Amino acid sequence: MSDALVEAIADMRDEEAISLAQRLLDGGTPPLDVLEDCRAAMTIVGRRFEDREYFIPELILAGETLRSISEIVKPRLTGSGRGAKSGRIVLGTVQGDIHDIGKDIVSFMLDVNGFEVFDLGVDVPPESFVESVRETRSGIVALSGFLTLSFDSMRETVDALEKAGLRAGVKVMIGGGTVDDNVREYARADAYGATATDAVNLARRWTAEAAGKAPAQPATARTKETAK
Amino acid sequence: MFHIIGEKINGTREQVHEAIVGRDAAQIRSLAARQVEAGAHWIDVNAGTRPDREPDDLRWLVETVQSAVDVPLCLDSANPAALAAALAVTRDVPLINSITGEARRLDGVLPLARDHGCPLIALALDDSGIPTGTKERLAVIGHLLAATRAAGIPDERVFIDPLVMAVATSRGAGLIALDTITAVRADFSRVHITVGLSNVSFGLPARRLVNRTFLTLAVAAGLDTAILDPLDRELTATLRATEVLLGRDRHCLAYTRAYRSGLLDPFTPAASSAKSVTS
Repeated sequence: MSDALVEAIADMRDEEAISLAQRLLDGGTPPLDVLEDCRAAMTIVGRRFEDREYFIPELILAGETLRSISEIVKPRLTGSGRGAKSGRIVLGTVQGDIHDIGKDIVSFMLDVNGFEVFDLGVDVPPESFVESVRETRSGIVALSGFLTLSFDSMRETVDALEKAGLRAGVKVMIGGGTVDDNVREYARADAYGATATDAVNLARRWTAEAAGKAPAQPATARTKETAK
Repeated sequence: MFHIIGEKINGTREQVHEAIVGRDAAQIRSLAARQVEAGAHWIDVNAGTRPDREPDDLRWLVETVQSAVDVPLCLDSANPAALAAALAVTRDVPLINSITGEARRLDGVLPLARDHGCPLIALALDDSGIPTGTKERLAVIGHLLAATRAAGIPDERVFIDPLVMAVATSRGAGLIALDTITAVRADFSRVHITVGLSNVSFGLPARRLVNRTFLTLAVAAGLDTAILDPLDRELTATLRATEVLLGRDRHCLAYTRAYRSGLLDPFTPAASSAKSVTS
């Protein structure tokens, strides 16, 4: 592990981090090790964000740095593939709503925590969610929305998954400014989360359950799930 | 004169959400009264609840706020059923917040505004999303005004919102909003221009500082209303100084009157010397 790389990414020295990653790779460091450093750095960034030491600009810059380094690493990865991903998640802001900041933070936190995230963007129609779940065979769908209008779209999206015969195979979480258990019930989602950490905890638990293992970490008290 | 639309009664804030769901009229009345005392000309009401109960909740909010203050309301909902329920009980003609260029929003809300003679806020976005640049936004605004004019709504009843994005996520967001305000002011002299102020600072620390600095720049560009927090005393004091500087406060009378009423306290030596000993 290169502490220098981890620190450069975590301390927002983006240009230095990218050239350092390049030098490490040129010097024979295995590409997966460089990715592991990125993961470690992003965990630090995520923690500083939660501690209100960092803010959204730092999250965005860290994301860009990570993307630039991935671009350098990718061509060097052989058939061994990327590090093991722990689960697939289709995520997006539902139709009729264009709020993206919360959705982007959740996407980032899930990615940093090892999930393979298929981010469909904003104003995503129900059929796009259906299509993506089918294509990626994801077990989790995360719906974001801030406007009250989005509650209807969330419900329509869950309906569409049902009609497509996919509902039984996926867990659906919802989130956004005013989402609460009433909205969860209205949309017929499995759970809602108030923060990005809630989303990560839910995804961890569901992935563990799907794999038939004990939950890796219990969900926080703020996260409510339907009693089955 | 600049008009303030008070933003506090918004169900997306947890405390207000609880007050709405629990029908805590005293808390809503107090929030309304405090905003009007602080200088709000309109009170925004946003229930923020799910669509099947939003009509009831919004109507209750309207009745509750009206029992506390005399100023007109700004009905903040995209749900035609909720707007219709609220319009049935509003005492004064309310401002409708909002329409967009999206067919679904136009069809649902424009007829209500026309039939009730309401002014309305028009957001610069359409079915293809939020336009990226100033030019694209102006095109959407042009279409919106064509739609409001076609519905027989005069320009002076339309409040154009150029959509202020967060500078934390997009560096050009502040400039695009300011350029759009300048252009709208030049091209459509009779419309009002408004913004939801606090969005600009989303994701940054010390947000109030960013909000009030942006407000000054936007007022200089032609902004004449904003949805903001009237209880932020530094913000409203800054607004008064801005009006003086732009020559909109004759003989600075509103400014000196505000000083005598203590409204400029956050910036006067009396207020700061109360905390620190001066020689």
